[in-house]
Amino acid sequence: MQLRNIGTIFRKEVKDTIRDRRTMIFAFVMPIMAMPLLMTVIFKIQMGAVQKIEHARSDIVIQNIAELPKDLHDSLMADTSLFQVKTEADYPGKNLLDELKQKAFQLLVIVPNNFTKAIELESPTGIEVYYDRGEELSSAAYGKLDSVMTCYRDRVVESRVVKRQISKDVLRPFDIQGNNVASAQKVAGKLFGGIIPYFLILTCFLGAMSPAIDLGAGEKERGTIETLMVAPATRGEFVLGKYFVIMLTGIMAGLMSLASMTIFFRYMASDPTMKQMAEMLAIQFDMRTLFLILAVVIPVAGIFAAILLSISIFAKSAKEAQGYVGFLNFVLVLPAFAALVPGVELNYQIALIPIVNISLIIKYAIAGTIEWKYVITAFVSLFALAALALYFAKRWFEREEVLFRM
Amino acid sequence: MIEARELCKNFKDKKRGVVKAVDHVSFSCKAGEVYGLLGPNGAGKTTTLRILSTALKPTSGTAIINGTDVTVDPQKVRSQIGFLSGNTGLYGRLTAREMVTYFGNLYGMEKQAIRRRSDELFALLDMKDFADSRNEKLSTGMKQKVSIVRSVLHDPPVMVFDEPTNGLDVMSSRTIVDFIKHCRDSGKCVIFSTHIMSEAMRLCDRVAIIHNGRIYREGTVNDLLQATGQNNLEDAFIKIVGE
Repeated sequence: MQLRNIGTIFRKEVKDTIRDRRTMIFAFVMPIMAMPLLMTVIFKIQMGAVQKIEHARSDIVIQNIAELPKDLHDSLMADTSLFQVKTEADYPGKNLLDELKQKAFQLLVIVPNNFTKAIELESPTGIEVYYDRGEELSSAAYGKLDSVMTCYRDRVVESRVVKRQISKDVLRPFDIQGNNVASAQKVAGKLFGGIIPYFLILTCFLGAMSPAIDLGAGEKERGTIETLMVAPATRGEFVLGKYFVIMLTGIMAGLMSLASMTIFFRYMASDPTMKQMAEMLAIQFDMRTLFLILAVVIPVAGIFAAILLSISIFAKSAKEAQGYVGFLNFVLVLPAFAALVPGVELNYQIALIPIVNISLIIKYAIAGTIEWKYVITAFVSLFALAALALYFAKRWFEREEVLFRM
Repeated sequence: MIEARELCKNFKDKKRGVVKAVDHVSFSCKAGEVYGLLGPNGAGKTTTLRILSTALKPTSGTAIINGTDVTVDPQKVRSQIGFLSGNTGLYGRLTAREMVTYFGNLYGMEKQAIRRRSDELFALLDMKDFADSRNEKLSTGMKQKVSIVRSVLHDPPVMVFDEPTNGLDVMSSRTIVDFIKHCRDSGKCVIFSTHIMSEAMRLCDRVAIIHNGRIYREGTVNDLLQATGQNNLEDAFIKIVGE
């Protein structure tokens, strides 16, 4: 094995790959664009929907409104942007429950006879509210009405207590003060840490994919493989030279996506429509986190590069290779979802599972709760797999049936 | 220069079982000689040449190339031969010069030697105008010239041509044929395979009729014509294979 030959092959493949527009799109443009585009679209749609529901005025029909206590009546009428109050008189001869189901309005409140009196006399009574839980607007209206009613009920209780000359403190023997000790980083990591490793792993795979297909199956398709096989470099030198190029583009793609995400989070904090989201995320990569993420991207790219190269050299054509790679994408990138599944925690067993361990390590690193014993375990597992895959790629390259499978 | 000794190559095929692609093939070829392997598609020509150029390992038997056994030191053999086939491709995104330099490096040549030799060959083959264009932009004939330079850059004593004119037009074929003559005249040992009889007649000092992996007969073109009593190689071929 000669370094000079590996270097020659590496330099040639780098030059060839840089000139390949498709690879450049997968390795650089897409990782930079994908995350911000996707996130912006999702955020805008979601924030828009949330705002629409929260700020919508709810139509509410109160049957028997004359029996509503004045205090409650006034509360409901106070903010006309909150509720538009109607009565059964607005729907003459109609079944109000059916009308609710037909979305003519969002809430139906039925006030029983003598409701005001019952409250004054302190005798038990109740009020019925109908809403449609299958409708977001109706559910939201119910929530708003519930809080108005609860406030009113608290006031009634207070007045009753005061009437009996008891301090109203009796109603609230103690306060519960919840204090969050987690840093904003940890909260963000737990909430959002899952999506970052997923994007990183996916972009790393896609970055390595395109050159891998070209450097393996592409040699067969172009009819250049024979000239390589009779050139005095060894099969192992070809494997390594090609391998490092594929790995490099995988790493580059990962880095591009990481850089793009970092910049995007900064930008998000400055954009008023996304500020709320950004505050919730509060993602700040410190240098240690960044280094750790970079360090895990390397073995991931190493594993992807070796597996992709093996498959690519086996395939007869780029098209065939693409078929295998499509399936592989599913198998290799799917475990990256692990970090998105709630309740999946790092332990020694999980730290041994490739890709799953990476996605969890990145997630924990972002949350700032990383445990080094798991990181080391994961690294041992990842490097072992990368070495195994590379060895396999080399063996594959030495087999005539594979090389001349045309 | 080339000595094939009882070369055998078996392939496993799902439908046909073990296929003897090359079956006890022996021949030899000297420096300054063009040796032709003549046979139809699937006769075993390509497999034989791939064994000689070390792309494939023989199942049994061996070949000695310029004093080196292909089964013992394939790396050394590779530096002794130049290989060109009709469906040899190029790296489209590299220029002719870059492609040739890449192979020069792989063959262990020094930077200046690569530069000097490629300039010399570009001039010889009248390639100066497109030496720095990307290969994907070149015509078939131009591409073939790039392949020629690639195969001969390291000035190997042995040249292996596997159906080198396959799929080429008349002009490009002529370039190849002239190049083969040039190799012979400069004292190289040339082995070349074809299924085109006229080409074999024009070029080969000696030919071997190969069919179903075996060499049926060997000799100069005249020997074969006389032995079969025919006046062209095509008829001689049919007669020999039909026997």
